Amino acid sequence: MKVLFFGRLKDVVGQSEESLDFTEASTIEQLFAACAARNPELAKYRSSVVASRNQEFASWDTRLQPGDEVAFLPPVSGG
Amino acid sequence: MTSPLDHDDIIELVREPIDPRLLIEHVRASEDGAIVTFDGFVRNQSHNRPTLYLDYEAYESMALTKMREIVAELHEKYGIHRVAIVHRLGRLAIGETSVFIAVSAPHRAAAFEACRFAIDTLKRTVPIWKKEYFEDGAVWADGELPPAAVATPRAKPAS
Repeated sequence: MKVLFFGRLKDVVGQSEESLDFTEASTIEQLFAACAARNPELAKYRSSVVASRNQEFASWDTRLQPGDEVAFLPPVSGG
Repeated sequence: MTSPLDHDDIIELVREPIDPRLLIEHVRASEDGAIVTFDGFVRNQSHNRPTLYLDYEAYESMALTKMREIVAELHEKYGIHRVAIVHRLGRLAIGETSVFIAVSAPHRAAAFEACRFAIDTLKRTVPIWKKEYFEDGAVWADGELPPAAVATPRAKPAS
C-alpha cells in the first residue's frame, strides 16, 4: 500500500511517500493510527486532515484493499 | 476521463509562467458572446508580513481529477462552452499568476457565475498547497479543509 503525505504533513513525516505493508490496518483510520505510532507528531493533525483513497476523498472508515494509494491531506490552499 | 461532448478544454498543472492571452484565445469561439476570466496572482504580503515568494505543491494526479470534475460541472450546470483552467506549481515570485481560469458562454450571466464557481470550488477541493516564504522563515498557508468527511459510497453492488 502506498501512503502519501502533503504540505505540512510531509514536513512532519520527513518524506512524501511511504510504501507500507500494514496488514493490521483495514481502514483509513487505522492506517493513520499506524503511521502516527511510528511518528507520534502526526497524531496532533488528525482533526485537521482529510484522507483520499485512490485519488478520491474518502471517509475515515473507508476499508482498504491491497495496492490502494492513500493520501493524507492538510487543508488545501491552492489559488 | 472526458465528458461525452468534446469541449476542447485546457486543464493543466504547469511549472512555467502562465500566459493568460493564450488561454483567453483558446476559449474564444464564434458561437459565444462572453468570456469571464479569473487571474489569481501572488500578493506581496500575508497578514501584513512582507512575502518573499510562494512555493506551490500538488497531489498532481488527484488535483487534475478534481479540476476535471469542476470543468464537467461548468458544462453541465452552467452551460459553459469552453474552459481553460491552469494552476502553476513550484516557486512563484510576487505578481506572478498562480491560477488562471477562462470560461466562455453565449451570455455573460452564466460566464460570471461559472467562473466564480470554478475558483471557489478549486480553492476548497483541489489538493494544492502553498508555502509562504518570509524574511524570517516559512509557513504553510492556512487553507480550507475539503468537505470530505461525508460517508463514501460503499462498494458498487454487483450487477
